[in-house]
Amino acid sequence: MKKRFPRLSLIILAAIAAGCLACGCFATKDPAYMDLANSNVAPCRTFLFGTDAMGRDIFAMIWYGGRISLLIGFLATLISTAIAVLVGSISGYAPPWADGAVMRITDLVLSVPGLLLTVFLQAVLGGESCYRLAVVIGLTSWMSMAKVVRTEVLQLKNTDYVLAARCLGGGFFHILCRHLAPNFVASLLFMAVMNVRNAIVAESTLSFMGIGLPVEVVSWGSMLSLSENALLSRSWWMILIPGAFLVTTLFCLTNLGNYMRKSVNKRHSNL
Amino acid sequence: MRRRSLRKPYITIIEELIKFALSVFLLSVLVFTLARLAPGDPLYAYYGERVEKMSGQEQEAARERLGLDKPIPVQYMRWAKGAAHGDFGISYQYKRDVKEVIAGRIGNTLLLGGLGFVMIFILALFLGLFCAWREDKRADRVVCRIGTLTSCIPDFWLSLLLILVFSVWLGWLPSSGAYSVGAEKGFADRVRHLILPLAVVVLGHLWYYAYLVRNRLLEETRADYVLLARMKGLSGKQVLYRHCLRNVMPSYLSMMAIAFPHILGGTYVAETVFSYPGIGTLAYESARYQDYNLLMVVSLMTGILVILGNMFAKILNERIDPRMRLKREAQKEEVRGF
Repeated sequence: MKKRFPRLSLIILAAIAAGCLACGCFATKDPAYMDLANSNVAPCRTFLFGTDAMGRDIFAMIWYGGRISLLIGFLATLISTAIAVLVGSISGYAPPWADGAVMRITDLVLSVPGLLLTVFLQAVLGGESCYRLAVVIGLTSWMSMAKVVRTEVLQLKNTDYVLAARCLGGGFFHILCRHLAPNFVASLLFMAVMNVRNAIVAESTLSFMGIGLPVEVVSWGSMLSLSENALLSRSWWMILIPGAFLVTTLFCLTNLGNYMRKSVNKRHSNL
Repeated sequence: MRRRSLRKPYITIIEELIKFALSVFLLSVLVFTLARLAPGDPLYAYYGERVEKMSGQEQEAARERLGLDKPIPVQYMRWAKGAAHGDFGISYQYKRDVKEVIAGRIGNTLLLGGLGFVMIFILALFLGLFCAWREDKRADRVVCRIGTLTSCIPDFWLSLLLILVFSVWLGWLPSSGAYSVGAEKGFADRVRHLILPLAVVVLGHLWYYAYLVRNRLLEETRADYVLLARMKGLSGKQVLYRHCLRNVMPSYLSMMAIAFPHILGGTYVAETVFSYPGIGTLAYESARYQDYNLLMVVSLMTGILVILGNMFAKILNERIDPRMRLKREAQKEEVRGF
């Protein structure tokens, strides 16, 4: 199976990211300004993407909200990857009884309903800001990744070069950084990209359900939390436009992630 | 190496049962503590806004009546004692026995999740087979593209999109509830209300499993026995169905055993958007409004399903393919030896 580099996905992703970063230049309206005289306006020349039920300009909100959504995606992934690498490699490297204990705990956390965990963390941290929400998402999404790291470490730790490093007196973190991490970084990269995707999905779902960001903090998810009104007033632009940006970003990220996955088969089919 | 895998089967069963009981116990402790440590006042769930008008003394009395004034371990012991006798307490929000509240809704979730699971199970197999047969041809590529796209659409947005198109624009299907008011018994009405939520549940999971089937099958088609079977005169299709599919089935079955609780538990987004009266909406409400007793039962139900699913998958694997058990035991030995 050939794998072509997903050039188009990367370009679109870069364009969206650049638009979000540089939105001060072209999105001149204030995304938080509520122009109550012009609420629920369909897309037209002054309001390119229309306005929402509170009279905010959707064109500006898309770009400013994208900042928040993407930021949460990356921050949450950083946090969950860090935890996953630490837990996974400690568990894989430790003696079997400790490994078993850590894995049981991970399984236990996995079997607690994710919703409960999220609501709990939200309540403890008070998730009014996007940083706190990123922490919440990061803390609830490291488990499956930790398992992957653990299996990789289990395979790697019996190799001769790890043994040699241990004989020379290398400590745990030295071996982790110099010998183990470079070997599992490839399989981790795919999971990290997928985690960015999942974090963005989590942010938007939580905000939509009313347990993520409040309506005043503009993100792609919190924009969609007003969609119940939009359905009643048949304002399709409030639902379709933020959703289209969201799905496009996720789709491009997935394509990129799939490219990074180790290609399993290079041989031809025997069928 | 000792052949530990040749233990008597009943020992394995007892071992698994102990593990199961232990996991359920730990899970209940964890959920109990988490729920009570979270800030927020369960009195709000019981009395609503009236709490603010109550005096301090009245609040204390209400807390005492609901058994919320004791330290957490004492509360847990009390709950566990009740639970052992089948008494899970009352829901603060609905002011009825938790069992009643759940019994009124579990059928709806089982219908939605169960039907969704069956459809995913069958469709994923078909799609995977189709794509593997057409590997890298145009049909495969198109299906893969569309599949990846559907797997990228968040559940809640898909629900919104479907409501917008089929309820608001076309007006074909209802946008909320499990049945129309006044027509509780009609079968056709029930089906009409089920189509959109079911579509969300199925589309949300389908491609993940179909893609796994496809990749597993592709791995199989590269094995040497395929060449042999082709050489003795079987057609490609025959080899795919008779040999490759059969080799993929064990891992597919065990995967679906793990998937079952996920699909059943993943209905809550669809349930919320479509105001479908099921367990998912209950879970969401009880976690948000500190309805402790209800939360405990709902969490334990999903947790037990997850644990059972995992256990079932493992047993299934070892039943179908005894080598798996040997391998696991051997791995254990190897790790111990290190």
